[in-house]
Amino acid sequence: MTPDAEPLLVAEHVSVSFSRKRLFGRGPAVRAVQDVSLRIGRGEAVGIVGESGSGKSTLGRLLLGLIKPASGEVRFDGRALQSLSRAEWRALRQRMQIVFQDPYGSLDPRRRIGSQIADGLAIHRLVAPGLLPEAVNALLEQVGLDPSHAERFPHEFSGGQCQRIGIARTLASRPDFLVADEPVSSLDVSIQAQILDLLDRLRRDLGLALILISHDLAVVRHLCDRVVVMYLGRVMEEGPARSVLDAPRHPYTRALVSAMPRIGTGGRPTRILLPGEPPSPSAPPSGCVFRTRCSFAIAACGEAVPPLTQTNHDHGVACIRLADLP
Amino acid sequence: MRRLRPRLALPALLILSLVVIALAVPFLGLPNPVRQDIPNRLTGMAPGALLGRDEFGRDVLSRLLWGARISLFIAFTATTIAALAGTLLGLLGGWFRGMAEFLSIRLADVILCFPPILLALLVVTIMGPGVATLILMLSILYTPGFVRVAYGEVLSTRNQDFVTAMTALGATTPRILALTVLPNIASPLLVQYSLTLGAAIVVESGLSFLGLGVVPPTPSWGLMIRGARATMEQAPLLLLWPCLALTVTILAFNLLCDALRDAFDPKSAAGAGARPKPRLVDCLAPGLFPSRVDPGASLSVRGLTVEIDTKRGVIRPVDDVSFTIGAGETLAIVGESGSGKSVTVTGLMGLLPAAARPVAGEAVFEGHDLLRRSPDQLRALRGARLAMIPQDPMSSLNPVHKVGDQVVEAILAHRSITRPAARAEALALFRRVGIADPERRLDAWPHEMSGGMRQRVMIAMAIANRPALLIADEPTTALDVTMQAQILDLLADLRRETGSALIFITHSLGVVAEIADTVMVMYAGQVVEQGPVASVFAAPLHPYTAALLAAVPQDDAAPEPIPGAVPPPHQFPQGCRFAPRCGHALPPCGEAQPLRQFGNGREVRCARAGDLRFGRAAHDA
Ligand SMILES: Nc1ncnc2c1ncn2[C@@H]1O[C@H](COP(=O)(O)OP(=O)(O)OP(=O)(O)O)[C@@H](O)[C@H]1O
Ligand code: SF4
Ligand code: SF4
Ligand SMILES: [Mg+2]
Repeated sequence: MTPDAEPLLVAEHVSVSFSRKRLFGRGPAVRAVQDVSLRIGRGEAVGIVGESGSGKSTLGRLLLGLIKPASGEVRFDGRALQSLSRAEWRALRQRMQIVFQDPYGSLDPRRRIGSQIADGLAIHRLVAPGLLPEAVNALLEQVGLDPSHAERFPHEFSGGQCQRIGIARTLASRPDFLVADEPVSSLDVSIQAQILDLLDRLRRDLGLALILISHDLAVVRHLCDRVVVMYLGRVMEEGPARSVLDAPRHPYTRALVSAMPRIGTGGRPTRILLPGEPPSPSAPPSGCVFRTRCSFAIAACGEAVPPLTQTNHDHGVACIRLADLP
Repeated sequence: MRRLRPRLALPALLILSLVVIALAVPFLGLPNPVRQDIPNRLTGMAPGALLGRDEFGRDVLSRLLWGARISLFIAFTATTIAALAGTLLGLLGGWFRGMAEFLSIRLADVILCFPPILLALLVVTIMGPGVATLILMLSILYTPGFVRVAYGEVLSTRNQDFVTAMTALGATTPRILALTVLPNIASPLLVQYSLTLGAAIVVESGLSFLGLGVVPPTPSWGLMIRGARATMEQAPLLLLWPCLALTVTILAFNLLCDALRDAFDPKSAAGAGARPKPRLVDCLAPGLFPSRVDPGASLSVRGLTVEIDTKRGVIRPVDDVSFTIGAGETLAIVGESGSGKSVTVTGLMGLLPAAARPVAGEAVFEGHDLLRRSPDQLRALRGARLAMIPQDPMSSLNPVHKVGDQVVEAILAHRSITRPAARAEALALFRRVGIADPERRLDAWPHEMSGGMRQRVMIAMAIANRPALLIADEPTTALDVTMQAQILDLLADLRRETGSALIFITHSLGVVAEIADTVMVMYAGQVVEQGPVASVFAAPLHPYTAALLAAVPQDDAAPEPIPGAVPPPHQFPQGCRFAPRCGHALPPCGEAQPLRQFGNGREVRCARAGDLRFGRAAHDA
């Protein structure tokens, strides 16, 4: 593959674990992300779904270089993040941004929103200081807010408005890659739709590559081209959003899709209830990490980590019993 | 913080006047505080010496004021040095962790191990007594306090999203530390600063008193007390003045510290604004009407109206809410945040915040009006006939008790059975709510359980005394969909078995469709639509219900946003409250709309109900 043909962002076999400090030495390591590979093309939207503690947020931060992988490599625009010098790194940072779950927590409560939005412009000297106010106004308008709001403080805004401000701030540095970590899960449905609309529009208008981390499958299905399903730090299934979510193959994805509450009672698949709780990420089961809750598990599932098997183009499933599944 | 000025004013004024006096002492034309006048020693108040003269005939007033100057100078200088050094160390330790953390925290620990007197003796032995020694000693003594405060605050601030956002923007570390972290940790540091100032004055006086501090004849409050002690019998007043000065100063600093702490703590600030009002009177006055209670109902609410005193005046977040729920039925309450769902149920449970009170209506539960029961009667009902499942199971379980003991306590609070019998019942409840390995889990601590398990414990506790009505405020919002599915199934089973009624508050229309028989849609404090779930969702009558349904991403239909936001309670529109966001508004919508009956148990609050068609009905037409 020539460097030009490489997707915007490539992650190869990345893993990361956290260890908690104890009084004496360190506690058991939490394996937050294990051996995950991922590629995102320019302007592409990829959803990451899975339950809490499955490593979604950690993976997102890993892709942004905010956390360093213990092993594996992340390449952005053909360059490995680990090999960059400080200056190169800072220049690259500008092109990769993050939108957070908690709209209030992501804004500095003590500064006017205008100056917070201007940070991105000022840090990378994208705009002459005299033109900053104008640039901030343009950004506010881009996310559907009134320029006169620049002088206000975060607490004067509603959750949805704060999320727009957060997005305006990320857009200030003119990124081409955006990670949105649960950007709508703390908002009302009515406001969710506003933010989803905005993200979708920005992606199309600005050609942003987008990673959408969400536990809401309907949101991911609506906004994303592809989806990655994670469980206990590993990828269970991956492929085009429609084909994965409409016809899930992996036993975990099936349970996840069936558990989604739906308004129309008509076409809902019978609910597959997962028994028990997810195991602790510091002591994941051997072999297939899902096997303690999988109704198809056999002895062989505990022997080796199932590889991601391609079913048809671009759709991979990590299950050794794929052929036997109903 | 601006609102708390009055509480800050008194101590701030006291300290300001102290500082002004201390600065102005040289210009006041006072007698020289060290000039002795032995013949006039111990004379009382006189025109030349307003507070008399001490054992060497020196002017007491002059010594008192010069003493303030010395004390404040030492305290301010030492505290400022300690604050700068401590903040820097704490900031670096908390931000860079690793070696910086080890060095700064260990250093602080080592210093904290020394008793202040020992430290003072050590420093004095090395350097000899004097003002410089005192300042050095106090700076060393108080640096660890600032290290600890700064370190702890940095640790909690560094993981906040807005700090990560600055890192993601590519800001340099000094910029992040100076512009983002420092301002956000400034308030606790300021509190520590005022606390330390007060403490420094005490220690300075104490050490001077012991002869380890300021060297005579330099005036100092501690030295004055020391001198006055010797002549206590002849001139007791001499002891009074420096003690009084010391007490007032310390008090002022402590008051300032308290006021600052409150001013910076948003929680206590909110509490300070909420004035409790006499409740019973308010509850007794309204609703002397004959009740229109449905005899088969478990709970029948008519015209519930709640008012809250706020800084912007009295608001009415719940206005004329009525509903009925029968035994074994599930009612879902939906609506955007701020529509009044939680205030409605906390009003029924008697758990409203102090500034809120139900001002009208009735809520008949098992023959009694909940709104008119005394707090004690309500307490006896809660957890027994009336139980609640909270949104956040972590903060609702007591972290220092085993979960089994908490369930046992819940049983014993309402029934007189033996502890072993209660424990056996708790075990059965754990089994009932599907907790695997219940014998062992009874002895688990809350932090050892996952969110889903904790919510099961909360449900076990709620059903422990077989309630007739269970109120669940967003019980699954904090859970994953797979856990949510388990909990919804459990609740449905329980309701079938025990026949208790369930009120379920949720944001998720999908959850409503799964679990509820009837749905009540609230908007801006009012019920806008009510009826059986299936018929409401298939053919909503109110534009708001229709808009909520259209906002949910489902299948291939793109979610449609509702423009604007719920107005805050002090800005509710005069007419139809949804009108500013409604795409179907007409002139009649400017009038307040009543809730109208629509057959088949449906009610709607809209001028155009019946004339507008949404959902499946619209497609059929
Ligand atoms: N800084 C950290 N220190 C220790 N453990 C961590 C840290 N960050 C994440 N973890 C652990 O790593 C695992 C994966 O966490 P992550 O936040 O990525 O999950 P998630 O899927 O995003 O969950 P949620 O939906 O709740 O946000 C969890 O077990 C979590 O407790
Ligand atoms: S590999 Fe085995 S345990 Fe894992 S999902 Fe497939 S069948 Fe289930
Ligand atoms: S009354 Fe008028 S403005 Fe209000 S919801 Fe009905 S149509 Fe809309
Ligand atoms: Mg997360």
